[in-house]
Amino acid sequence: MFGWEYPPRYFGGLGVACQGLVRGLLRHGVQVTLVLPHGESTEPGVDIRSFASADPLRILSVPSVLRPYDSPETFHTHTGDQQGMQKELYGRNLGEAVEHYTATAVALTNNVNPDIVHTHDWMTMEAGARASKHHDCPLVAHIHATELDRTEFHPNEWIFKREIEGLTKAHHVIAVSQYTKNLLVKEYGIDPDKIGVVHNGSEAQPFLMERKEAESHPLVLFLGRLTVQKGVQYFLRAARIVLDHSPGVRFVVAGEGYLLPDLIAESLRLGLNQSIIFSGHVSSQEAATLFSKAACFVMPSVSEPFGLVALEAITHGAPVILSRQSGASEVVSNALLVDFWDTDRMADCILTVLREQVLGQEMRAHSSGILKRLTWKTQAKHLLAIYHSLLLHRS
Amino acid sequence: MKNTKMPPAVCFYFQVHQPYRLKDLRITDVGTMNSAYFDIEKNRSVFRKVAEKCYLPANALMLDLLERHKDFRIAYSLSGVFLDQCREYGEDVLESFRALVQTGRVELLGETYYHSLSAVFSLSEFCEQVSKHSEKIRSLFGVVPTVFRNTELIYNNEIANIVRLLGFKGILAEGVDRLLAGRSPNVVYRAPTFDFPLDWQATIKRYRIHSRPLKTISVLLKNYRLSDDIAFRFSDKSWVGHPLMSNVFAEWVSASEGSTVNLFMDYETFGEHQWAETGIFEFLRHLPAAFKTSGIATKNPSEVVRSSVKKLQDTLDAHHLISWADTERDLSAWRSNYLQEAALTGIYALEPAVKTIGDPVLLDIWRKLQTSDHFYYLCTKYWNDGDVHKYFSPYESPFEAYRRFSHALADLKLIIERALELVHKTSHS
Repeated sequence: MFGWEYPPRYFGGLGVACQGLVRGLLRHGVQVTLVLPHGESTEPGVDIRSFASADPLRILSVPSVLRPYDSPETFHTHTGDQQGMQKELYGRNLGEAVEHYTATAVALTNNVNPDIVHTHDWMTMEAGARASKHHDCPLVAHIHATELDRTEFHPNEWIFKREIEGLTKAHHVIAVSQYTKNLLVKEYGIDPDKIGVVHNGSEAQPFLMERKEAESHPLVLFLGRLTVQKGVQYFLRAARIVLDHSPGVRFVVAGEGYLLPDLIAESLRLGLNQSIIFSGHVSSQEAATLFSKAACFVMPSVSEPFGLVALEAITHGAPVILSRQSGASEVVSNALLVDFWDTDRMADCILTVLREQVLGQEMRAHSSGILKRLTWKTQAKHLLAIYHSLLLHRS
Repeated sequence: MKNTKMPPAVCFYFQVHQPYRLKDLRITDVGTMNSAYFDIEKNRSVFRKVAEKCYLPANALMLDLLERHKDFRIAYSLSGVFLDQCREYGEDVLESFRALVQTGRVELLGETYYHSLSAVFSLSEFCEQVSKHSEKIRSLFGVVPTVFRNTELIYNNEIANIVRLLGFKGILAEGVDRLLAGRSPNVVYRAPTFDFPLDWQATIKRYRIHSRPLKTISVLLKNYRLSDDIAFRFSDKSWVGHPLMSNVFAEWVSASEGSTVNLFMDYETFGEHQWAETGIFEFLRHLPAAFKTSGIATKNPSEVVRSSVKKLQDTLDAHHLISWADTERDLSAWRSNYLQEAALTGIYALEPAVKTIGDPVLLDIWRKLQTSDHFYYLCTKYWNDGDVHKYFSPYESPFEAYRRFSHALADLKLIIERALELVHKTSHS
């Protein structure tokens, strides 16, 4: 399995999902060799191979400067801050860095005898394709997010092309939602029969924390990376409408990202400054507290392959309002749904949840059932069934 | 050996109903909605779709069958809100029902005008709605119902006795196994008779439909196995009975015990739930002839009641509420979660105020919000299993249904508050 990030070092849902699947597969007795670009991660029972831990490639045992949500623009932004040495090791652009990863990652798997090669997202696709060819076994491309999701459908052509190449080479594609499958069929021209849907899962037990919603000033929460993809800008517009109707409501935007300066400017322009808090990065403990205090959680994503944060929210009993343009809305059925651009309706859903206590009460009543059906063990079982059918059709 | 047993008769009753679905209401409009809660375009388009797929072709077929088979009989229950929608969206549909009733062999049943759950929540409201419905049927069709079917066949001893005291001779109910306890649904039962407190009696008497109530009321029970063979299983290719032929079905009926097989179902079964392509109309077309061949007569509910009253009737003792909905056949389709309780409590809490104000337009709006469908759409019983409730709901989820309903209710409350202030002012001056 070719991964890109893995706890404790991860930046978004990809790392969490990768860990969830790996652990789920282990519980079904599957042996996993995981290739990662960095060496801090350990997982009992998993053979983790990375630049850092691989002896023959000691020269490359430097943490990658690539982040899973990179595009060439952001790559330049944060490599600009890095030490000059690292820049030279990985080359000056994302293309070279991925090439470097690809070549070395394949070398790392020379002495493995896999039945399946499984890749996560575009940056590991070419590495997977080469390994699949080398080991002569089926290639499964797991899509957690596409370039179109990340860029509001204005893709970087080079990444987009690599995605298409990788998806075409893969023997089977796993999409994290029907939403993503539809997108792969429509925008990437991939044969729908080649794409399976395995939704993300959760290991969390619901209602670990007591809920303590603020009574005088109900709190409405956004939590996620502050990027165009996550639709925070629509959250701000909805907040304006909510405040016009109910001035006492408070909004929290939790998370960090390149959009932060723009969002602060926008919230000032909308006159939200007395009613909104940009909390910056929050730890998982802080996130849990926010979820348990929130009168409602909004996920306004413009294009969200899944949206694990929605599962986190219902784990802590927060009533949720989800973008219809998300994979989570397919499985988190105890939610109000909105089109991300329909800020009037988004505001109306928020106001309704605030006015009607029973709505949250009823939504909460369904959370544990939903989470029980969506464990990583169950989702890994779906994945395993796909592996088996691929191997069956080969022999 | 030749079977000398007389086959049972068949009693058909079809439910015809359409609710007023709600618009995408917004909280920012609460206070200024001016009672415009209903989605006129949606209601019109649903009505016309069902009219073209079901009401018009099915009525044409029924009329043809009634003309060709002079002993063929059927019964309908047309909800008041359906008849109102006929006025708005389909005079042609109303005319086609009139033509059926004019044959003299089509019976119309009584029900609550607004297809409401009032039987469970308010005696006075229930009686008023039943009376309003009977009056509507009389004015449109020139007949007064003598047999009653409550919303979704919701039934218990109490409802049976209220209906008896209102003057009806018979009432329909679901043939629930747990009440029958091994007995057949194909015979007529009677409800245990009892009296109510005086104030209840006075309320019922005020809205009495027929002058002298009978000592007992007959209960006709739905044979759900044979009814559901048509209503639910007809197009199910995995069902052993598929494809179901008229003569085979007639044989099943004639092999049944008892005196009457009651086939009760939604009229939309024909052409809407079961599309024309499934062969449902062809099945129906050949049914009267198939019945005749098997020696099966068709009877109206009032005929079934008449032919059974002289016989000793077994008692059906229903303490708990039953209905024809879902597998539970109880009230859980309309009242099993927080949303439903809040919505039902909210709407019925307005009764005293609405009646104090006495404005007929306001009464009508309030009552349209009582239609059982609004509470059915809020059901989350099997929400995650993609169940039948989803099929019948115009909204994307029970939560969305509640969002709309709660806005309508909030607006209605404001209207009522304002109107009450006015009433108090004028009564003081």
